[in-house]
Amino acid sequence: MTDTKYTYTPEIPEVFRCRVPLPGTLQAFVNNGVLREPVENPSFSLRPYAGMGMEFRVEPGHKVEDTIQVISFRDSSDTSDIDFSSRVTFGKESSSSTLLCTHTLSLDKFNTQEVIDIRAEYGSRSHIAVMQNEHNDSSHKLKINISVEEGAFIRINFITLHGALLENEVIVKLEGKGAVCELNGAYLMDGAQVIKTNVMMNHLVPECYSSQLFKGILDDSAKAYFSGRIVVAKDAQKTQAYQANHNLLISETAKAYAQPQLEIYADDVKCSHGATSGRLDEMGLFYMRSRGIPVAEAKLLQQLAFVYDVLEKIENEHLRQRLHDLVESRLRGEFGHCANCSMNCC
Amino acid sequence: MLEIKGLHASINDREILKGIDITVKAGEVHAIMGPNGSGKSTLASVLAGRDTFEVTAGEVLFNGTDLLEMDPEERARLGLFLGFQYPVEIPGVSNVNFMKTAINEQRKFRNLPPVTAAEFLKMMREKMAVVEMDSSFSSRGVNVGFSGGEKKRNEIFQMAMLEPKLAILDETDSGLDIDALRIVASGVNKLKRPDNAFVVITHYQRLLDYIVPDVVHVLYDGRIIKTEGKELALEVEKRGYDWLINA
Repeated sequence: MTDTKYTYTPEIPEVFRCRVPLPGTLQAFVNNGVLREPVENPSFSLRPYAGMGMEFRVEPGHKVEDTIQVISFRDSSDTSDIDFSSRVTFGKESSSSTLLCTHTLSLDKFNTQEVIDIRAEYGSRSHIAVMQNEHNDSSHKLKINISVEEGAFIRINFITLHGALLENEVIVKLEGKGAVCELNGAYLMDGAQVIKTNVMMNHLVPECYSSQLFKGILDDSAKAYFSGRIVVAKDAQKTQAYQANHNLLISETAKAYAQPQLEIYADDVKCSHGATSGRLDEMGLFYMRSRGIPVAEAKLLQQLAFVYDVLEKIENEHLRQRLHDLVESRLRGEFGHCANCSMNCC
Repeated sequence: MLEIKGLHASINDREILKGIDITVKAGEVHAIMGPNGSGKSTLASVLAGRDTFEVTAGEVLFNGTDLLEMDPEERARLGLFLGFQYPVEIPGVSNVNFMKTAINEQRKFRNLPPVTAAEFLKMMREKMAVVEMDSSFSSRGVNVGFSGGEKKRNEIFQMAMLEPKLAILDETDSGLDIDALRIVASGVNKLKRPDNAFVVITHYQRLLDYIVPDVVHVLYDGRIIKTEGKELALEVEKRGYDWLINA
């Protein structure tokens, strides 16, 4: 832990500290929507924004080496429904990696609504992972508006483990030539959990690229809704836009609803969409069992394999490994927490 | 080692195996030949425990134990191995981890501690050499992006790792070019011992030039219609199956 810089401050009770931070990670905490301590740095800053939420800026031309981890948690100090907004600017030709975690530290019935406006300026490269792990009676609605300028690249990976009703709405405007936006998600739902993913991908100008890959594993009576629309404007020639939503249904009562939509007004584009729902592959299970692997383990391996490609999109190796482990323990029916940590951040 | 007595099996009420009797002793290599749709792969799947098939009559004893009551994984731990005609791809699970999981399950069953990293690596290296597999395969996902020949070699490699008492190879030769065929066959020959046995299911006699069987069975329409020595394979190659079917 010695190589990690903390933004730990005394006002925050000790329990809120992440005990097993990833190497090369800088942590900041948002408690019930309020940023606990601003971070000022030559390359980036995190400041309170309109009382609640935060203003997060990565300065133009800066490459932020550390992963900036923002841990947003709800606890019993404010159990009211909250609604807050944040503003994020990835400055010109900057490069950064951000991890946004949402957790609950008490079992109150939380309702959180959050809006994040992101501007990815000219030539910036931004990787964002969103880790959603709240208790299963807590609901969170997240709306992200993204504007991507010329030559900018932004990738968001959603990893959704626990929560009652989780809604992720992403509205993207590809505003400048050569802008790239990749959205990926893996959700693992059981019990009565519900996830709604809503994507609106607007290709406004030529030569932009977008891709969406959302995959979910649904057990018990969990439900997943996916609604994704790609709109290619009349002038947006040479657009490439891809979308896929795949669900693995473990039980008879789990349900997946997919609404892929394409609206194309240009004539020189490459677009595709696909949605599937399937169950565990009997042949694959038999193959593993024929090697002596018990059926429960075989099912687990197949589920891990199903979301593997989404997790592989996470660039930071430590984070990727951590999330692989969390997903595995989630699939084993354990409460999601990091190895060597007894604290349940959810 | 293996006694199949009056085995009947069906899928969706359609009978595929209509009374099979085969006895395989330790140290033997048996070949099962037959035209498409005769029930060869069904027999292999039923022996390994695939539950899409329903056994309606008969008995299978594996070293005296009733095989049909057991789950596929239990059969594997007792030393039964099925080499698949179409090996399954498992993205996200590396060959190393797959094999380590399988070996450790086997060891757990035998009350042995998990294999140490050093032992395991040594074992991997030795067994990969048996099928001339490149070491880069070990970190790749199981069968992911493998060519047909590589998948079949991987089956033989897994067999070498698990050291089964009885290996059933289901059309391991299909889709192999002559070099791959030779590698696969020599892998099998290297693993042959007086205390293990092989059942080789094949369409063509070609494989049997390399893996010489002690007994050849011809399966047709769910029944063994002929059992003889290795010369039967050559005769089938020359004359086809019609003379046997119409006999």
